[in-house]
Parts: sequence; C-alpha cells; structure tokens
Amino acid sequence: MIESSLLGIQFIGMLFGVFMIYITFLHQRRKEFTIKESVFFFSAWIFLMIIAIFPTSLDFFVLDVLKISRRLDFFIILGIIFIVGLLFHIYTVMRTTQNKVENLVREIAIRDAKEKSRK
Amino acid sequence: MGMKTRVDLRKVFVVIPARNEKEHILKVVEDVKKYVSNVIVVDDASTDNTKRLAENAGAIVLRHVINLGKGGAVKTGCDYAVENGAKYVVLIDGDGQHESKAIPLFLRQLNDVDIVFGYRKFSKDMPFMMRYGNFFITRLNRLMFGICVRDSQCGYRAFTSNTYKKIRWQANDYSMESEMIANVGKNKLKYDEVEIKTIYNNNYKGTTPLDGVKIVFNMILWRMRR
Repeated sequence: MIESSLLGIQFIGMLFGVFMIYITFLHQRRKEFTIKESVFFFSAWIFLMIIAIFPTSLDFFVLDVLKISRRLDFFIILGIIFIVGLLFHIYTVMRTTQNKVENLVREIAIRDAKEKSRK
Repeated sequence: MGMKTRVDLRKVFVVIPARNEKEHILKVVEDVKKYVSNVIVVDDASTDNTKRLAENAGAIVLRHVINLGKGGAVKTGCDYAVENGAKYVVLIDGDGQHESKAIPLFLRQLNDVDIVFGYRKFSKDMPFMMRYGNFFITRLNRLMFGICVRDSQCGYRAFTSNTYKKIRWQANDYSMESEMIANVGKNKLKYDEVEIKTIYNNNYKGTTPLDGVKIVFNMILWRMRR
C-alpha cells in the first residue's frame, strides 16, 4: 500500500517535471527567458524529476549530513525555505519597481508643468 | 492680509494634493490665492475635471498619470516648490476642510520654528472613528517619537524648505503625516502648533480605520529605524 502510493507520488512528480519543462520551453521559444534563465529552469525541472524517480539518491545528505529522519520532512523544510526566500525576493523586486514608478510619475508631472510654464 | 508676517510671500508655496475634488478645488485655490500667489495643485490622477478647474483658478497643476496617494502627491508638490525657489511650504488639503485664512498664522509662527502643525479641536463634528483613532495615534506619537502635537493626522502644516529636506517622507499614503512627525523627532527640529477650524464635508475621503492600522504598524517600523 505504501509502495504503491509512493509510486503515485513519483509519477505525479515526473508528470509535473515534464509539464514544467514544456512551459519553460515555450517561454524560451518566445524569447521571454534569457539563456541563463532557461538553463536554470531546465536544470531545476530535470533535478526534480531525478529526485522523483530516485528519492533515495539524497539519503546520504538528508539522513547522515542533515540528520533529518524522514525524506518528506526534508522536502517540507526545503519548500518552506524556498517560499520564504521567494517571498523576500518578490517583495524586493516589487518595492524597487514601486519606487521606480513613483519617481517616474513624479518626474513626468514636474516636467509637464515646467514645459507648460515655458510656453 | 489680516496679520503681519515677516516672510517674503514670493517665496511661499502652498501645496494642495487633490484627487477627484471637482466640487471643492476651485474654491480652495481661489481662497488660498487671497494670501499666497504660488499655489501648486497636485492632481493625483483624478478622473474628473479637477485639473482644469485648478488651472482655471490660477494654480500650477502637476498631474500624476497614475494615482500615488496623498503622501506621494504632497511630495511631488514640495519637490517642485523647492526646485522653484520656495523657502516656505504650506500644505492644505484639497477637499475644502481647511480655511485658508489660517495661512498668515502658520507663516508668522514659522519665523521661530522649523515646522508648524495645525490642530483641530476634537468636537462632535469630527467622525467618531477618526476622533478616537486620531487620539490614539497622537498619544502613540508622543510616546514613540517624543513629539507632543495635539493632532497628528491634521494635514494643514507649514515648514521651511530646509526642514523639508530633513523630513522628506517615504510613505505615499496617509502615513505621511505620522512619518513627518517621526522625522521631526529624529532630527530634533523645533515645532509649534496653530489651532485651525475644520469643515467636515459629507463625502469624507480621508483616513479610514484600515489606514489607522497601517499607520500604527509603520510607526513601529520607523521607531525601530531610528
């Protein structure tokens, strides 16, 4: 029972990896990603698929080095760290963009008023 | 002008943030023009004819192509004023809440201090939530920044251009008033207060309870940043 459900999870992991490779390929074809970004995402999805097919390949690192007793715990911890990092990254990008928009709006307003006063 | 001021009125700029204020902006600008000739209206992406009305009334209009919020609008106006030789800046709301006849009082006080805060008498006319929210934030300001102003959320203020450089805020929303106070405390600037009369309109668009929560949260952040 446990083995068959694991196989199911592995299958979902593989399918997800294949689907994401396809999505990445589409973005790359539309030239929305740089080569660096494409290489990063393709590698990430391939890594995910390898982990899904061979979950025991990380045992040395998870069980011996990190001393985490279950593989699933490791992935949950990794997922939380990733989400927190991603949130911070999105926040900084959003804040930078917000500042740029604010400065741009202000510059346009002041420039237009100056041009008008010159006329 | 009823009261003598020692400031050069050519160096005084009044900044009025406005968003969809077609009902009040004309009168506000006309009233202010009786005291000061340099009037800047910052149209924060209004969808009505606020800009045209303000121009017709003789104001310099700076238009935001997208809405930034009150703090952002006031900052644009102050930047423009300072760039164009302002020595004194007066802030007045665009919704007709503030009486322009208090301008000379602000300017007179500004001779001795860096910034002058307006304060409203807390009366029954003031919306309930605003009265108690304001009371709480004002007390918190006192506690956190050591600034004893009677009304921390009043938008009627005046300061010198040198002061503006020290207190230039980051907030684009209604937190700007509290951030300004925090910066006054941080820079140990001299301040005074002037009592003003306020006319509350039916279509009140000012600080909401949610804004109040945001302001308190931001105040904690500014306190930690000091």
